[in-house]
Amino acid sequence: MSAIRVRGVRKSFGDLEVLRGVDLDVNPGEVVCIVGPSGSGKSTLLRCINLLVIPDEGEVYLDDLAITDPRIRPEWVRQQIGMVFQQFNLFTHLTVQRNVMLALRHVKKMNRAKAAKIAIGQLTRVGLADKLNAYPAQLSGGQQQRVAIARALAMDPKAILFDEPTSALDPESIHEVLAVMSRLGQEGMTMAVVTHEMGFAKEVADRVVFFDAGRVIEEGEPDEIFERAGHERTQAFMKKILR
Amino acid sequence: MLKLLFQWKIWSHVLYGIDATLGGIVLLLALGYLKVYRLTYAVDALPDLIQGFELSLEVVAVILPIGFGLGFLIGWARTTRFVILRGLGSVYVDFFRSMPPLALIVFFSLIGALELRGSTLNPYTTRNIALWLGVVALALHTAAYQAEIVRAGILSVPAGQTDAADALGLSRLRTMFVVTLPQAFRLSLPALGNEFSSSIKDTSLLNAIGWMELSGWSLQEVSYTYKYHYLYGSLVIWFMAAFLYFVLTYIVTRTVRGIEDLYKVPGLEVAR
Repeated sequence: MSAIRVRGVRKSFGDLEVLRGVDLDVNPGEVVCIVGPSGSGKSTLLRCINLLVIPDEGEVYLDDLAITDPRIRPEWVRQQIGMVFQQFNLFTHLTVQRNVMLALRHVKKMNRAKAAKIAIGQLTRVGLADKLNAYPAQLSGGQQQRVAIARALAMDPKAILFDEPTSALDPESIHEVLAVMSRLGQEGMTMAVVTHEMGFAKEVADRVVFFDAGRVIEEGEPDEIFERAGHERTQAFMKKILR
Repeated sequence: MLKLLFQWKIWSHVLYGIDATLGGIVLLLALGYLKVYRLTYAVDALPDLIQGFELSLEVVAVILPIGFGLGFLIGWARTTRFVILRGLGSVYVDFFRSMPPLALIVFFSLIGALELRGSTLNPYTTRNIALWLGVVALALHTAAYQAEIVRAGILSVPAGQTDAADALGLSRLRTMFVVTLPQAFRLSLPALGNEFSSSIKDTSLLNAIGWMELSGWSLQEVSYTYKYHYLYGSLVIWFMAAFLYFVLTYIVTRTVRGIEDLYKVPGLEVAR
């Protein structure tokens, strides 16, 4: 059984075919890194998994349940799958603690005290217990991204999707965010990570997927993909990024 | 909502308004005392002007809530996915924004008067309905401008915010209420304050259909100045009227500013 199973997903925006039949599996507790050139459709693929983008064709399964079935409410699916964005997307008008509490209060209908307890717990987990009452604009990029991770974790998701979580950060912040993500991976969180951080992919990923032009070109263990890639497009890409 | 009434941050701004008013009165008295104008002109006219001021206040108290409520709904309608709502909203805005408020007032009031002609209603009631229709016309006019402000506010909330709310499983409507509107509200307050102040001053057009509000009484008082030096007299009276409009507007804009301060959040303040 896989936590997330993607089968033959296609998506076009107008004339532009972004996903051309994607198959992908993420097993429970696995960290899968999706790498590939920009514009290859990696983000769209992640967005198809939590139905932020509805695929034109193909199926997505969450724990063997076909969530692309039109009878399933996308809101329900999104509650089960966390997402962390490149631009953090914290709610600007709310304090850090409120950011984490929002979905607990309005989606899970928890009372204030219970939601606050969970929020504080998750923020402590990402090392931000001292920033509960700060507003997002008062935090560094790395801190904001950790809040975003805590916000996703608070919903107790089955998996978390990371859409280039460190691409908007300075080198110092990248490190603190990756540290939190590595720990999550070790704790057994199911994660699909679109990233350009090859170091992270090598160390933390159980599997690396090379993605280009709307298709999975090649997948395998990090060493295989980085050093002994079979496909020439993968080799060319790796040569460009790895010095 | 009631909590708002007890916020010092708001009242401190209202106090600014009252300070400015008292300052203005002292200035007027001083000028009168220094014989820059005849204090008696001002004193004679004051009771009537105050009466007009009260009526203006009443009209403003009707126009602002209707204008804002309607403006908010129309502005929101213009940002929804529903083509029909969007279309109706744009027709409304396009129409009311392209009409001079004076023409609207006269038009609405005349339509009312013509419709009610020969009805069995008490003539005073008929007259009042026709008069208040003019006020409604002004409210509808400002609603069109406020709708645009609200729409701009909603559209200026970055798409990432709704993405994040969607990704957490919030429904569209709830996202609107807990994410988009609270931010749009903060972003549009300065522009709303601006529109409030201009709609307050537009109430002076109501004397065209016979309202004896502040400018109605001012015209009346000016016509009495034949007894004195006409030019000085009317200058003093219009100066007082302008001053009273200033008081009314300043208190409202200061209150809006107070609300702005109250809800200020780092990262969402509008540059000033």
